[in-house]
Amino acid sequence: MSAKDQITVPTPPRRNPWRERLLDNWRVFHQNPLGRIGLILLVVFAVMAMVSVVPPLIDPMYHPMTGVDPEVMQSSAPSWRHWLGTDFMGRDILSQLLAGTRVAFMVGVSAAFMSIALGVSVGMVSGYLGGWTDIILMRLSEIIMVMPTLLVVLMLAALFGKLGIWTIVLMIAFFRWPGVARVIRAQTLSLKGRPFIDAARVAGASHTRIVFRHIMPNVLPLAFLYMTFRVTGAIIIEAALAFLGFGDPGTVSWGMMLQWVWKTGHMFQAPWWLLPPGLCISLLTLSFYMLGRAMDEVLDPRLRDQSR
Amino acid sequence: MALLEVNHLSIGYQTAKGLLRAVDDVSFAVDAGQSLGLVGESGCGKTTIGMALMGLLPPNGSIVGGNVVLDGQDLSGLDEADLRQRRWRDIAMIFQAAMNALNPVQRVGEQIVEAILTHKPELEREEALHQVEGLYQLVGLPVGRMHDFPHQYSGGMKQRAVIAMALALNPKVIIADEPTTALDVIVQDQILKETKELQKEFNIAIIFISHDISIVSEVCEMIGVMYAGQMVERGTTREVLGQPRHPYTQALLNSFPALGGPRRPLRPIPGEPPLLIGRRFGCRFCDRCPVPASSCKLEPPELVQVGETHFVRCDNV
Amino acid sequence: MSEQTPPQTDQLQRTPPPLTAPVMELVGISKHYQSRGSIFGGAGERVTALNQVSLDFRRGEIFGLVGESGSGKTTCGRLMVGLERADAGQLVLEGREITALRGKDLKDFRRKVQIIFQDPYQSLNPQLSILDSVAEPLITSQACPASEREGRVLATLKAVGLSPAEDFAYRFPHQLSGGQRQRVAIARAMIIEPRLLVADEPTSMLDASYSAQIFDILLQVREKFGTTIALITHSLAAARYLCDRIAVIYRGHLMELGQAEQVINRPRHPYTQALIDATPKFGDCGDVPRYNALLQPERQATTEEAGCVFFRRCARAHLTRCSRQAPTWRRLEDGDMVACHYADGAPDPGPEIESCPVPGL
Repeated sequence: MSAKDQITVPTPPRRNPWRERLLDNWRVFHQNPLGRIGLILLVVFAVMAMVSVVPPLIDPMYHPMTGVDPEVMQSSAPSWRHWLGTDFMGRDILSQLLAGTRVAFMVGVSAAFMSIALGVSVGMVSGYLGGWTDIILMRLSEIIMVMPTLLVVLMLAALFGKLGIWTIVLMIAFFRWPGVARVIRAQTLSLKGRPFIDAARVAGASHTRIVFRHIMPNVLPLAFLYMTFRVTGAIIIEAALAFLGFGDPGTVSWGMMLQWVWKTGHMFQAPWWLLPPGLCISLLTLSFYMLGRAMDEVLDPRLRDQSR
Repeated sequence: MALLEVNHLSIGYQTAKGLLRAVDDVSFAVDAGQSLGLVGESGCGKTTIGMALMGLLPPNGSIVGGNVVLDGQDLSGLDEADLRQRRWRDIAMIFQAAMNALNPVQRVGEQIVEAILTHKPELEREEALHQVEGLYQLVGLPVGRMHDFPHQYSGGMKQRAVIAMALALNPKVIIADEPTTALDVIVQDQILKETKELQKEFNIAIIFISHDISIVSEVCEMIGVMYAGQMVERGTTREVLGQPRHPYTQALLNSFPALGGPRRPLRPIPGEPPLLIGRRFGCRFCDRCPVPASSCKLEPPELVQVGETHFVRCDNV
Repeated sequence: MSEQTPPQTDQLQRTPPPLTAPVMELVGISKHYQSRGSIFGGAGERVTALNQVSLDFRRGEIFGLVGESGSGKTTCGRLMVGLERADAGQLVLEGREITALRGKDLKDFRRKVQIIFQDPYQSLNPQLSILDSVAEPLITSQACPASEREGRVLATLKAVGLSPAEDFAYRFPHQLSGGQRQRVAIARAMIIEPRLLVADEPTSMLDASYSAQIFDILLQVREKFGTTIALITHSLAAARYLCDRIAVIYRGHLMELGQAEQVINRPRHPYTQALIDATPKFGDCGDVPRYNALLQPERQATTEEAGCVFFRRCARAHLTRCSRQAPTWRRLEDGDMVACHYADGAPDPGPEIESCPVPGL
């Protein structure tokens, strides 16, 4: 047959269609002012997280947890020695803030990633298989969804004592997947009825292959979008827990810093101590939010400004 | 003086890649009781013309040249409010997707009543309702179904309801944009026949937009063939289909399978229509033309009169 | 069955395929759908998609299945490729019953029967490159080693007229026109060289110039691979151009089946005649007669269960016989098949019968 005769066609250098696509999306993203601001903020925070290892290397007194300046034994205002001042026992606030950035990223991204991974898997399986699987998984997700995350985590913390930071991450992930699962399920349902899924079935693809090869690439953009919003949520929950005194005492997070300000009664005495963590929480969550909004526009061509 | 005259109309869309000239130097005229079919492939500008006549161009589209004269009055000179007034009173439109033209959560008869009351606020509600009953009889819908919702109608009934709505204000011109594309042949045939009868009865001018030359040939006395934003051939149906002069018209006719006559091979038109962004030199059909001349690439062809009412935009006729 | 010599006016000069054993047979296939009931409970209406449909597709022929929307023609196509299961009847592929295939047999079946869908904008995965989409059947069927895949894809793309194939292979569906996408869909179906290709309204979403291209490619595919093509369409004109045989289907019931020219030029069933009447004619269609077989307005008959499905719309129906007794699916002396009591010149019911009172009218 002719198709077999012609298999000697020289194979051209493989161009990467994904790269072209990414570039295309990048252009749309870049034109969005929200996305640009979000990205710049995010880069600033990423740099902060990375340099957080530097201060303790300069001098042990800059260690965010254990480093105490022997010369200042109380909260002091910004100075050359401590650019953002010190806390009640003379620890450097700047190095605490930097360490907090690292923790915020870690908590936000890993909790969001886990909840998205769980949500996408459950959503795709539920939507694709339908029937009893769908009913059981969706009822389960509804039960979890109606529990107020913060309250339940607070109760658990009260029950089991102080929680480690990874336990907190896991709990946030566990309580935040149902929303994602429902969205991904809806998307899967609409994809399932499209002719290209029928075409894949006729082409002989197994159920696993249809889910992972044909449906997943179509829901992943949406999943990434939800991830940016979930990061925001995770950071805020962790900060709230820490501020209320249920955080990991062995970690310096922004929420922890706020709790120390409050607990030691410096709320209105030490703005240099109160403002930086507060601002950072707002700005980092804002930057992820703006990123998500810009991604929304990349993913949904209808939102793109026609005249541009 | 014809009822509706379109003179050298050009329409452009602002896009990210520059000005897209969707319609370029299109002229035609329709008289009361006449019907003109605009035929062409998708993207040739035929729907854009309909939208422009209705004043319904999207925000990034605008008329960049030429004018539209209705009943001796230049519509391009009117302001937004006047235009809106004239829009449904004088020109009505039957939309491409009749399924989506009706509001799904409002009863069909109610929608037509509202369309009437919006434009004739002096009418009593009862009177309008009475008119709608008349319209239902006119388009062959059972009056008893006036209080049903759109989803309770079949495709053909929805299309009839949309036609009733277009007729509601006694327009002088009706623009029908692919009115039967979603329908089955038998229903399509009935609706086309009824539309023709209504047109004769009320002396309406119809501009019939379709990609299907066989439908247009059944309904219209005149045909304008569009290609890449230009009208490449225009004349009576007999002229255009009997002696097609433009290579595109000929190619288009050769690519339709017919039900009668000898079975003859179809000749598909090779290639794709050109992009309409940026400056173009020469004839737009040049790249796909079976009989191109060397001069075609240089000079854009002018509209040439080849018969009494027969015009062709080709240098080699 | 008589050998049809093509009429002398036929300029196509295609040789009809030899009469061999059918590639696929449908034997008495029925399929019903249960429409959803109201929110207050109660089962929904039972809708007949296909009723006792028997068809055979011969090797190398293009068979047209013509009907309106809702006639069950698409369901029939989906059944043939295993996307739906019949409620009753048998599906036979090359002499083997395939009605309830599983596992390896199903995989084997998939290699032999492929489909192209109506909407080229929906039938390609937007997230996969053309190369990946077309290669999919090769991958799942392991028809060839991975190293040869790309070459096969490019060759097939070339075969459906997408050249330079290298250029198209690395694009995404949204970068192609409707006609180009439909060719990709044909390439995807043809890459494993199936015995039977179901083409479900392959051109109804396309412009005329593109549909002529697609018709040409289907003809080439048949020529090159000897593939049997089942063309599902609403257009008698398209079926006349492409098909060797045509079957007309109305509300799940076969109405008429025969040689293409025969069905078009000498339709015996009033429904086929109504379709021909309704098809817009242009060009040299002067020789197509009018049959006026359609009743206007429809009868409001209630006796439909037992009678002919076309009774309500049939201008020629015998009021008592057609409303009470469903016509059998029978063969006429010239080999064509029809489901009408009055297909072979039997006396018209006539006005005196028309006027006879029938309950429920």
